[in-house]
Amino acid sequence: MQRGLLEVLILAVPAGLLGTWIVLRGLAFFSHAVGTAAFPGLVLADGLGFAAPLGAFAAAILFTAGNAALGRGREEGRDSVVALVLVGCLAAGVILASDVFGSGANVETLLFGSLLLIDGSDIVLAAIAAVATLVASGLVGGRWLAHGFDPGAGQVSRWERRLLDALLLGLIALATTATLSVVGALLVSSLFVVPAATVRLFAKRMASWQLASVLLVAAEGTVGLWLSVKTDAPPGATIACVAGAIFALAALARALSRVPRGAVAVAAAAVVLALLAAGCGSSGSGSDGKLDVVATTTQIGDWVREVGGGAVSVDQVLQPNTDPHEYEPRPSDVEAAASAKLVFANGDNLDSWIGQIVSDGGSDAEIVDLGAAVPERLPGESSGAEASKHDPHWWHDPRNAEAAVREIARKLAAADPSKKRLFERNGAAYLAKLRTLDAGIAGCIDTIPVSQRKLVTDHDAFGYFANRYGIDVIGAVIPSQTTQAQPSAKDVSELIGLIEREGVKAVFPESSLSAKVADAIARQTGASADYTLYGDTLGPADSDGATYLGMEAANADAMVRGFSDGRHGCHLKP
Amino acid sequence: MFEPLQEPFMQRAIAEMTLLAIAGGALGCWVVLYEVSYAAESLAHSIFPGLVLAAIAGIPLLLGATPAIVLAALAIALAARLPGVSRDVGVAVVVTTMFGLGVLLALSPQSPPGIETLLFGDILGPSDGDLISAAALVVLLGVALFLLHGRLLATGFDRGGARALGLSPAFADAALLILLAAGIVVAVQGLGNLLVVAVFVGPAAAARNLTDRIGPMIAVAVAIAVLSGLAGLYLSYYVGTAGGASVALAIVVAYLLSLPLGLIRPNRGRLNLAAGYDH
Repeated sequence: MQRGLLEVLILAVPAGLLGTWIVLRGLAFFSHAVGTAAFPGLVLADGLGFAAPLGAFAAAILFTAGNAALGRGREEGRDSVVALVLVGCLAAGVILASDVFGSGANVETLLFGSLLLIDGSDIVLAAIAAVATLVASGLVGGRWLAHGFDPGAGQVSRWERRLLDALLLGLIALATTATLSVVGALLVSSLFVVPAATVRLFAKRMASWQLASVLLVAAEGTVGLWLSVKTDAPPGATIACVAGAIFALAALARALSRVPRGAVAVAAAAVVLALLAAGCGSSGSGSDGKLDVVATTTQIGDWVREVGGGAVSVDQVLQPNTDPHEYEPRPSDVEAAASAKLVFANGDNLDSWIGQIVSDGGSDAEIVDLGAAVPERLPGESSGAEASKHDPHWWHDPRNAEAAVREIARKLAAADPSKKRLFERNGAAYLAKLRTLDAGIAGCIDTIPVSQRKLVTDHDAFGYFANRYGIDVIGAVIPSQTTQAQPSAKDVSELIGLIEREGVKAVFPESSLSAKVADAIARQTGASADYTLYGDTLGPADSDGATYLGMEAANADAMVRGFSDGRHGCHLKP
Repeated sequence: MFEPLQEPFMQRAIAEMTLLAIAGGALGCWVVLYEVSYAAESLAHSIFPGLVLAAIAGIPLLLGATPAIVLAALAIALAARLPGVSRDVGVAVVVTTMFGLGVLLALSPQSPPGIETLLFGDILGPSDGDLISAAALVVLLGVALFLLHGRLLATGFDRGGARALGLSPAFADAALLILLAAGIVVAVQGLGNLLVVAVFVGPAAAARNLTDRIGPMIAVAVAIAVLSGLAGLYLSYYVGTAGGASVALAIVVAYLLSLPLGLIRPNRGRLNLAAGYDH
């Protein structure tokens, strides 16, 4: 948390200073777009295996250059140029992710960002942006100001002016890139535009506007971070709401009354101070003698609760039906990791963020990579730097689940030897259920002739399940293991041809993904798309897939119904 | 050549693309002339809190999304009346706040999972509802743009003059933003956000390079939108590139082609105040 605070306070300098120029020069859209345009750079960095901020910065500079080239010599219509260059960048990014690398696992974390996952290099980057902005403001701030109020001012040559503009845009690109990992591209404006616009309502002079903007960014960032800890919400979104609320109050004050500006400033300061003072109350965390354990995914959380029983307190990081690729950690996750003895992870790059959560919480908890302990391994499809050697969805083979549960029982017993008997007893009881499940599913699938076991789904998550029960995966609507990619019309057409040739009776959308393309395929081929599968996560508490046993039984039931044209299902009591 | 037209899923994709290209090309001209591309790019994110609330309340999602985006459009128009706050700054303030609010609301345990994926469509799989709402959008925009044409034109080219004629610039701004909001709320589920920006800005920006008059500009923009939509879908069909991104790239290419054509055109002058009163 201290690191997040430090990062916000450093970023307040470039965000506040540049924010005033952004508002003054009408660059709000540019500053938003330059962060979003980093997307293809992130995909390239992920695919070729170099540092993500480098890729983001390179893409941002290219975006800036593209804007300068297309928007040269015109005052009107600059916003449509920004939009078009942005569209070009994003389309290139999607095509790179879908058709070239088939991978984008680390991309979302930067598009969404998290104050809780920053490391030393993020802080260095922020400090570089802060120093560069300070130096540039000191050297040429006056010129920017003159140009800002009178673009046609005659004293500067055209080249000099172009250079000044390029410097400003380049600085915005640098600072935005530094901010991406903090709040994500969608909320960059909450630091760069909203505070400066708030102060603008009252400020008369440039110097006081800039100083007040820097202070306001720092205050809003601090309050937002503190509120997010108090309410256990993602920090980026909280800061955005705080900044928006303060702008609304300021606008209301400005519109309603002619109160002296001094009074408004005093009132605002009082509000901020009150919030800060309230934040100084201690946040106590109780310990009740249970073993504190963190589990990253929903299925691992389920296993640890089964094995640990009442002796273990489980903090499960991912919640039902959240895409693990689009996950933003909450303050409670870092706190839980800080006090945990053990952390159970899936491995294979599905939850690689957990390492940073643990080190960020200053914890010396042992991270147990369950993926390394399971016997059945299939090759991963993603390319890229460390993009998993193995397919990370190993839990869909109950034999792997057995190995994982055994490993969980062993590690729990080692961490708390006094409860060893309990963990062994719970583990043995659960292993028996797993074997019953495995045999039950195998029996159900056996009722389907081998030639009819043909699986078409919209995400390659079921390789292990298919491998275990002799099911033929003949195609995926999105042919990749990430949810980032987009299908092409050619892919869809070929898949339709395959489905018709093979006589497939059902396609299976995954429950946490949009099923539109799967529906379109079903509509054309006459196959059913009524059966959904649980892929990446368990379902919510009241659904069939709320537990691991329930999820696998529900998947088997859906597949048997689909393969048999709805004639019979697979009724397993979880 | 006609092979894609024989596949039902391509017929539907082409139908959806064409309907939204007509809507986007026509409305896009006003988006470009009023310089509200930022709103076109970002308004879709302001739907998020409405989606979450609708899902929690158990009402159809469109009933949550529509008030949210209309509220955002009005808030932007209102914020832009503050001294020193431009419309783009208004967009930044309103959209980041509403998106942040949506993220926080989505944390509620009653919120259904995976709701953010509802915000994004895919051009290759339009549902019946998508096609119907796209057709309704074309009709709505056709009527509204016809009725508002004079007002939008007068305000767009001469705010002071419009005020003197008794037309409120704030009314024109708000009307345009609300139409844009309606377009986005329909289009985003059929096309996905990337394509929405492309269709609502690109063809009109290209048309602006090619003509000086608003009437022809709308016609050219619609034609460019429809043709690049087809070109993108064909590219995706034959070359196998991602569906939505291919259409977006085709639109960007159309814009790039319009630049040199605009330079060699005689009497080059962008659509501006004088040319605006041409009818």
